[in-house]
Amino acid sequence: MNPLIFTTILMTVLLGTMIVMMSSHWLMIWIGFEMNLLAIIPILMKKYNPRTMEASTKYFLTQATASMLLMMAIIINLMHSGQWTITKIFNPTASIIMTSALAMKLGLTPFHFWVPEVTQGISLTSGLILLTWQKLAPMSILYQISPSINLNILLTMAVLSILVGGWGGLNQTQLRKIMAYSSIAHMGWMTAVLVYNPTLTMLNMLIYIMMTLTMFMLFIHSSSTTTLSLSHTWNKTPLTTTLILITLLSMGGLPPLSGFMPKWMIIQELTKNSSIILPTLMAIMALLNLYFYMRLTYSTSLTMFPSTNNMKMKWQFETKRITLLPPLIVMSSLLLPLTPMLSILD
Amino acid sequence: MMTYIVFILSVIFVVSFVGFSSKPSPIYGGLVLIVSGGVGCGIIMNFGGSFLGLMVFLIYLGGMLVVFGYTTAMATEQYPEVWVSNTTVMGVFLLGLLMEVMLVLYVLKSEEVGVVFKFSGVGDWAIYDTGDSGVFSEEIMGVAALYSYGAWVVIVTGWSLFVGVLVILEVTRGD
Repeated sequence: MNPLIFTTILMTVLLGTMIVMMSSHWLMIWIGFEMNLLAIIPILMKKYNPRTMEASTKYFLTQATASMLLMMAIIINLMHSGQWTITKIFNPTASIIMTSALAMKLGLTPFHFWVPEVTQGISLTSGLILLTWQKLAPMSILYQISPSINLNILLTMAVLSILVGGWGGLNQTQLRKIMAYSSIAHMGWMTAVLVYNPTLTMLNMLIYIMMTLTMFMLFIHSSSTTTLSLSHTWNKTPLTTTLILITLLSMGGLPPLSGFMPKWMIIQELTKNSSIILPTLMAIMALLNLYFYMRLTYSTSLTMFPSTNNMKMKWQFETKRITLLPPLIVMSSLLLPLTPMLSILD
Repeated sequence: MMTYIVFILSVIFVVSFVGFSSKPSPIYGGLVLIVSGGVGCGIIMNFGGSFLGLMVFLIYLGGMLVVFGYTTAMATEQYPEVWVSNTTVMGVFLLGLLMEVMLVLYVLKSEEVGVVFKFSGVGDWAIYDTGDSGVFSEEIMGVAALYSYGAWVVIVTGWSLFVGVLVILEVTRGD
């Protein structure tokens, strides 16, 4: 793509999310979502093959439907409250419709079917933008309407998302689909605590974005999209095998890595609000996630995966330089001792 | 009949929307878009919005739809699909018509529609009388406010349309 056009379109994606996050008028928020959707389509279609076109079409159809539902909820809210400001929603029906629309945008169950298929069809960099930046805008709206969200619907969607994210990722060898199912599960964790303490949702989002950025950058560094090609990293850059190990275990939520912090805080907050069964279920379902991360680390860094002999002597071009990778790796694995600092967030 | 003119026009509006969203060939979609544009203009005029009605005819029908018609005429195929040529298209069209007929019967039976909210008749745009320079209408004040207080909206929508064109050109360009 022409670099000028590409920069313009990328800046429009950023502008769309910024408009959603800083507007106080519901119509501007809807415009921001549409701008975001429109501008990310050519980024998803950077390579012109049928897979990317199909993935972009699926993404466009689901997100446009979600925007229509959002507009309907906005108008019902307008009919019942007579104003366009972003506060809680004044009508239960509008609240349910808006929660479903934002769940479709995020990829929560039962609207999760597009996430693995779209993430699989696009390149690794586009998948990175899709799974991290695109989650910011809907989550900020959920944060702003959190006092009026129907608890039953949101918690059902959250728990089902953790289930689907765990079970769905079990049979996958394609790395992009694994990251997609991990995204579904993490979104479930984030929305589970939204009604109780929205600050923890933002904390989880922050740490999830850091870990997903790290994982995708490690994949881009070794240009691997399947488990098999990831298992050859010991041959290319042996250091990244350790880094993949640490980051994947952090994503699985193991202490003493930073991925444990949001899960710990969320379980603590849920138990403070006298729900015991729910966080137990969530923690058990997170084990499914941990299983397929462990399988990846097993084949990548803990064993030499079986391969033909000519794969064992790899000749490669000059290594990609990813400047942001070392700080990201440090942040996604060593943040746990900073947990007491969370008391400054209010 | 004049008391129900808005209702009748809105029924024709919805039927023409069903007509093009059941996806015949774009030429026929453009045809029902013209009808729906004209009918929509009639609805707006009945609320006292003469300026916006004129805007619909001039800019929407006379500008955008003409360009759409020309581009569709350039890209048309030898046997375009009509509503009755394809079973799927006809099925969707009849389904939309059926739902509209049921809604009309519901509205005519009971005085007000209470699906999510109570909806019984609509208001007009308010007409202000300031006394010094005559009568102002609310809809023209709305358009004026768009260009003064709502400058940010103009910037955002203008940029969205520009990026929309960029995106469409980029997507259809191919390799």
